[in-house]
Amino acid sequence: MSLAKSPWIIHVNCNSCNGCDIEVVACLTPLYDAERFGVLNIGTPKQADIMVVTGSVNYKNVNVIKNIYNQIPDPKVVLAVGACASTGGIFHNCYNVIGGVDQVIPVDAYVPGCCPRPEAILDGVVAALSILENKKKGNIKGKEVKLKGKEVPSNA
Amino acid sequence: MIENTVMLLIAVPILFSLLFVALPKSLYKYLAWAFFIIGVALSVNLVLDGTGVVEIGEPNFAMFENIVLILEVLVILFIIAVSAKYKNWPTLALGIISAAIFAYTFTNAPHAEGASFNIDQFSQIMILIVNIVGTAIILFATGYMDEYEEHRHLNRQKTFYFTMSFFLAAMNGLVMADTLGWLFLFWELTTLCSFVLISYNMDEEGINNGFRALALNLVGGIAFSVGIILLATNDIATLSGIGVYAGTDAAAMAVVALPVALLCIGGFAKSAQMPFQSWLLGAMVAPTPVSALLHSSTMVNAGVFLVVKLVPAFAGSSLGTAIAVYGSFTFVMCSALALSQRNAKRVLAYSTIANLGLIIASAGIGTPLAVAAAIMLILFHAISKALLFLCTGEIEHTIGSRDIEDMSGLVKKAPLLTTLAALGMVSMLLPPFGVLLTKWVSMEAASSNPIVIVFLILGSALTTVYYAKWMGTILSSSMDKNAVHHKKPETYFPLSFLGLAIVATSILVFTIYDYFIRPQVEILLNTAPTVSGQAGQFTSEIGAFAYAAIFVALALAFVIYFATRNMFTPRTAGYYMCGENNMEMDKLMFRNGLCSYDKSSVSNIYLQNTFGESKLTTLGYAISIILIIIALAGGVLI
Amino acid sequence: MNMTDILIAALVIFVAPIIGCLYAGIDRKITARLQGRVGPPLLQPYYDVKKLLSKDNMVVNPSQNFYVVVYVAFLILSLLMLVFRADILMIIFVYTVSSIALIVGGMSTGSPYARVGSSREIMAILAYEPILILYALAIYLLTGTFKLSAVVDASTPLLVYTPLIFIAMIVVLNIKLKKSPFDYSTSHHAHQELVKGMLTEYSGPGMAGIEIGHFYEYVFLTGLIFVFWAVNPLIGLIISAAAFFFVTLIDNITARVYWQWMLKLSWSVLLILSIVNIAFLYFSEATIM
Repeated sequence: MSLAKSPWIIHVNCNSCNGCDIEVVACLTPLYDAERFGVLNIGTPKQADIMVVTGSVNYKNVNVIKNIYNQIPDPKVVLAVGACASTGGIFHNCYNVIGGVDQVIPVDAYVPGCCPRPEAILDGVVAALSILENKKKGNIKGKEVKLKGKEVPSNA
Repeated sequence: MIENTVMLLIAVPILFSLLFVALPKSLYKYLAWAFFIIGVALSVNLVLDGTGVVEIGEPNFAMFENIVLILEVLVILFIIAVSAKYKNWPTLALGIISAAIFAYTFTNAPHAEGASFNIDQFSQIMILIVNIVGTAIILFATGYMDEYEEHRHLNRQKTFYFTMSFFLAAMNGLVMADTLGWLFLFWELTTLCSFVLISYNMDEEGINNGFRALALNLVGGIAFSVGIILLATNDIATLSGIGVYAGTDAAAMAVVALPVALLCIGGFAKSAQMPFQSWLLGAMVAPTPVSALLHSSTMVNAGVFLVVKLVPAFAGSSLGTAIAVYGSFTFVMCSALALSQRNAKRVLAYSTIANLGLIIASAGIGTPLAVAAAIMLILFHAISKALLFLCTGEIEHTIGSRDIEDMSGLVKKAPLLTTLAALGMVSMLLPPFGVLLTKWVSMEAASSNPIVIVFLILGSALTTVYYAKWMGTILSSSMDKNAVHHKKPETYFPLSFLGLAIVATSILVFTIYDYFIRPQVEILLNTAPTVSGQAGQFTSEIGAFAYAAIFVALALAFVIYFATRNMFTPRTAGYYMCGENNMEMDKLMFRNGLCSYDKSSVSNIYLQNTFGESKLTTLGYAISIILIIIALAGGVLI
Repeated sequence: MNMTDILIAALVIFVAPIIGCLYAGIDRKITARLQGRVGPPLLQPYYDVKKLLSKDNMVVNPSQNFYVVVYVAFLILSLLMLVFRADILMIIFVYTVSSIALIVGGMSTGSPYARVGSSREIMAILAYEPILILYALAIYLLTGTFKLSAVVDASTPLLVYTPLIFIAMIVVLNIKLKKSPFDYSTSHHAHQELVKGMLTEYSGPGMAGIEIGHFYEYVFLTGLIFVFWAVNPLIGLIISAAAFFFVTLIDNITARVYWQWMLKLSWSVLLILSIVNIAFLYFSEATIM
């Protein structure tokens, strides 16, 4: 129970157009007040439980997202917010884009939409909480994602 | 038996200094070990012998008196010769003045019948410091000097060890001698040793700084000798005689006020108080063992030793108040200056001056509690500062720099050395260690004087700041590769020994107080401070310091940490660098916007624009000179 | 040390974090209300600590959690000394140990953000340490002893003679609680430029230890304010609670300042205020015994 009552999120903007980011931030405003659920937007991965990723992964930031994922202590969940984070969205198959976040790190919940409404994001966070609890119960650890030096597209 | 111990304490270091000259370099290590063991044995023996006055009468007296006279002439001739050789006119002038004063004393002084050494508890403490800490430092030097000389292409180790050992003899004589004439000889001998050792490198900087030290100490020496001449007009020829004469009688105090003030100025110069502080800073060009031995834990203590011994002559008078204000001013000013320094040795130098200022302030306050604080601070400060200086020297050999900023990540490179250095710093600023305990005592004692206490409060905050940032820097991890580092027993034994001594003396603080300091304060002021030490508390009439409880908390913290360390299995991760870490190379590197790698570097805050030397030194000179003039005027007029 | 003393000590050790936790909860609730939000549950700080304890212990430097233990241990010690009315000057020195432990702990991680935060916190020491000791000095001047028992047994409350030091102490409270405008060393709100300041590299149990330490610190610092009216515990409690909520209010209506600004404020305004107050005490020779 303890994890579900205090989910601290780290928000990673991964090549997003800022649309989803605005909506994530909107969750913290008085209108939606994510802090009702104990949600805090924390700056450092070392103290976060939920990694909220917006935007698709490209060759430049792939190591960034892996690094941050590796630096979150277990149990942890990853929430892909928006179409780009889920599948690559409008940038799918773009020359510099690898794809959705799940191409790089394991994603536990998806919030589709371009961009998703704050209610949907909050719903996603709440859905992630039960996954977080299960991970704690089952002692499921996130695997350390290997970095691949300087990643460049094969067709570049 | 005390007579023999006293003679041995002076003779043995001289013997060793000759041995260092006679024997080859390869044997120095063993000599230093022997010196350390004999030094410890002799000083402990002196403590066991108890206190007493050693009179030297006829027929030996005549011989000794002649030796003293010859040595004094030699000292003055040496000063004049060397300053003439290097064309250092101010020093030459001061040397000639000294010679004139000496000639005057020689022709006019009444014929002395005998001389005496006065061994009281304070002398015992000083002997312990000089012979245990001092020989430990010489032992450290045997592991240090080879590398030092190699870097600088020098081969002067014979001079080095000869002077260091000879200095110990002079210092032993200084803290035991009661006859002012003899005390003055030892006083000048320490000055001379200091000059030789500061200019050890024989480069221009070293020689200039050596002459600065010589000149400023000669100013102090001249004040000292004028004081002796003035005292002789009142038929006072011994240090303890001043206290006996002045007693607690205000009228008698007024009679000796001027000579006492002059003697104090001698003490200020030796302790490098403002405005004399520049010689101590210049002295930092000398090898680290010299800084540790002469310029932090022993020689500069001679100045405060003298001032504390003179307490009965100014306790409670306006002169005492002036001295207290002056000392606390030096404390705050030098703490502020230390804040702006990046060079570790300069930080330590300013910290030394500041703490000696605190001792002088405590002595100036003159209440039994304050005097007890002054004596205790001399002891604790000497041990901590010796450790810190030696650690700085060893750090310099490990990383090749004495800049505090370069020391980040040291804990990974040399864990034991860093722990010892951190222990030294903690003992300088945090409870339950001795220096803070005495700072607490002196603050409580100073609380009756508004100016002094405000200075002490500001200085104390500044002290915390500059040590905290240095300590944080050396304890920060950098994930660099371990530096190749040779651990020599000659260097690490003294370091560990001093570290243990800090802990032991801090735990045994009340025993030390009971055995040494209370009787000494009774001798000086005829009343003992109302301090008791039941249940691990240091209790005075206005406060209580539960050092035992703090030790228990510290021990508990260690126990809890080691008990819970494996409960939460630690998993090591890289720094948070916004995900742009460079995991292959240095972990403190990150990828910048151009896809190349940059090293992140963070520097401490030094407040150069507020507390820098260029901003504060002139102000410090002005105010401290004014305060000295006030002290002198107060001594004469009021 | 008799049985009652041990009981009181145990009570303090267990009750203080509960009070501190409630303080923190109310603080967050007030903040939320001031922003027109519902806000987290009152026990949210407790949930946070519980969660942190169940997380992985991720460290940069294996010894970094040692400093957390020292931080909490010395806070408990200083709080106990406060409760047992020990020497106020010693309490402040013991409290300094815990502050330094947290700073060195931050620096020991070696992370650039943590080192920036720690450097700034060191400057905060420069700002508040003199005020704290002047506060101790005021107690001495008014009672003739540094022992806090005298303040409790006094006939007049301390605040009557020390209004200026009280003002300075409120600001010290603000600095020490790391609340805006002085939240430049570690802050929930500064993560854009500072991440989490000197606590950046702490996670899981280590961070939980720091949070628990904060609970003790809340109680300890409000305890220092309580001393201003210790003759009547009820009024003392009201004043200390009011001071705490005043700081919360300030936290919500001000923006973060530079640390230089704080240093200037402290060494010009606060120090002068305190010294004027102290000078008054010297010359009037007032006593509250």
